[in-house]
Amino acid sequence: MSPDEPLGMTEHESLTMLHELAQILELGVLTVDRSLVVTGCNRWLAAASEDAVRNLIGRPLLDAFPELRGGPAELALLGALGGSTTVWSHRFHRYFLPLPPRPSAGDGRFERMQQSAHIMPLVRGGAIEGVLVLLQDVTERVAREEQLRDALARAEVASQAKSDFLASMSHELRTPLGAIIGYMDLLENEMVGPVEPLQKQYFGRVKSAAKHLVHIIEEILTFSRVEAGKEPLQPEMVDGAVVARSVAELFEPQAGSKGLLTRLSVPEGPVMLFTDPTKLRQILINIVGNAMKFTESGEVGMCVQSHSDRATFVVSDTGPGMTAADLELIFDPFTQLDQSLTRSKGGTGLGLPVSRKLAHLLGGDLLVDSVPGEGTTFTLWLPIVTRATSALSSTALSEPLLN
Amino acid sequence: MTVKLVDHDALTELFNIGLHRAAASLSELTGQRILVELPRLWVCRIEETHLRLRQLIEGELATVHQIFMGSMTGDAILVLEYEAASRLAALLTHGEIAADGRLDQSAREVLTEVGNVILSSCLSAFGDMLRVSVTFSVPRIHVESLEGMLRSLKVESEELHYTLLAATRFQLTEGEVGGYLLIAVGIASLELISKSLAEREG
Repeated sequence: MSPDEPLGMTEHESLTMLHELAQILELGVLTVDRSLVVTGCNRWLAAASEDAVRNLIGRPLLDAFPELRGGPAELALLGALGGSTTVWSHRFHRYFLPLPPRPSAGDGRFERMQQSAHIMPLVRGGAIEGVLVLLQDVTERVAREEQLRDALARAEVASQAKSDFLASMSHELRTPLGAIIGYMDLLENEMVGPVEPLQKQYFGRVKSAAKHLVHIIEEILTFSRVEAGKEPLQPEMVDGAVVARSVAELFEPQAGSKGLLTRLSVPEGPVMLFTDPTKLRQILINIVGNAMKFTESGEVGMCVQSHSDRATFVVSDTGPGMTAADLELIFDPFTQLDQSLTRSKGGTGLGLPVSRKLAHLLGGDLLVDSVPGEGTTFTLWLPIVTRATSALSSTALSEPLLN
Repeated sequence: MTVKLVDHDALTELFNIGLHRAAASLSELTGQRILVELPRLWVCRIEETHLRLRQLIEGELATVHQIFMGSMTGDAILVLEYEAASRLAALLTHGEIAADGRLDQSAREVLTEVGNVILSSCLSAFGDMLRVSVTFSVPRIHVESLEGMLRSLKVESEELHYTLLAATRFQLTEGEVGGYLLIAVGIASLELISKSLAEREG
């Protein structure tokens, strides 16, 4: 609760020491008297101002720098004569004294030396004798910050361009694939004439391959929309247990053909959520589909639980499991842990990143836990909110969706 | 004297005058409309301040500290949680500074200037009411813990000390940020303030 400790010196000794200090400081030090006449400056400021300030000693500061007159700089000087200390950050003022930038500083970006400043009363013997101005040359730092900001802005533009490109390419690809599937349907169903059983089989394979491509494109499309912050939300009151049951039913044939056991556990009553049912279904299809894809024997289970503030959807399998290092990668887009699996199991590597991003979009999260050789558990949680208290809005589509 | 003798409403009004001036200065400085509100005000013994603050704030803090001298002496501190401080710096500069949540040198400079404007405006309101001039030390910004900040308030004299603790809310175009304004004064200064407030009300 006291000002800085006195150094136990006489006033003369203190002033001498301060004078010496001022000369070696890498700061500009300027003093003016009560009439704003320049009374001194240190070596740094003399050099930085190409001796302009040193030549000012004995002259009014505002005559030498008329642009200070009537502006915030003059106000700050007068305020200091009244006892105020003013701090000028570079961001709001750019500079206090209009000085040229030092050669090589700031990469030629600035016409003036960029400064931060302290303008404070010069007190001697309890009376305000004048004003002390401390100037710091921040040109180099500001130039670096601006370069960084420019680079960031360029990167954001590039990222947006990438997302736009993905979205438009995906759309362009999906349209002809729709036609391929449609025509294959016509051929397969003998709408344009009889076909041989072998031809029918081939048409079926073409159709299946085309549907797979559509699925991959849908994933890329969703990913790019979420990345670009353009994924629309259509929240409504939903029974989470009903959605979970419909997803489990969807995978029953696949589980049957692989000889996997399936288990669904839902509470007796409904699990009401105000959320986007399509997105919830998409996440569950992704994680259950993933479990089905990688589990060769044993079981895949889904357990839905309702807690006071959240609902959880836990999908567990007895698949190969993942190491801790693998777990750090699985939500990275375009990453599949074992690249050989991409060939044998298919997929873009976008399913889990998209699912997590969608979970965030719905105000929840998607977490994973796994033991190599034993299996993997994905836990999706979503907040239980009512329509009235929900932060989800179908109109707030232009908001950033992540982070 | 007990703290109850300070007219709470009159003190609130005085803080509001200071914060109104601060908001006007900040609006002019930043080119955006800024309001600074005072949702709550507490007066407590300095020894009890940490209890109160522990209920209100947690984690690392960014503080702007100024000592004031004259007929009224003491410490004035703008206290912001670190995350709130970086958000305030980002809001004040339309995301040009501290958008990544870090208080780098530029963000600290901006907050020091903002802290200086707020602290000086409030203390000037006190000075004007008391008809005394108040001089200020150079403001210093610190990133510190609550304990660290309270240690910097170490009272050396035997005099009883009190804290005027004001919750503040900065409302900017793109969002709002909460913080605290802490003014620690000795009993003599508090009595002076109390007397002037009573005369003003009377």
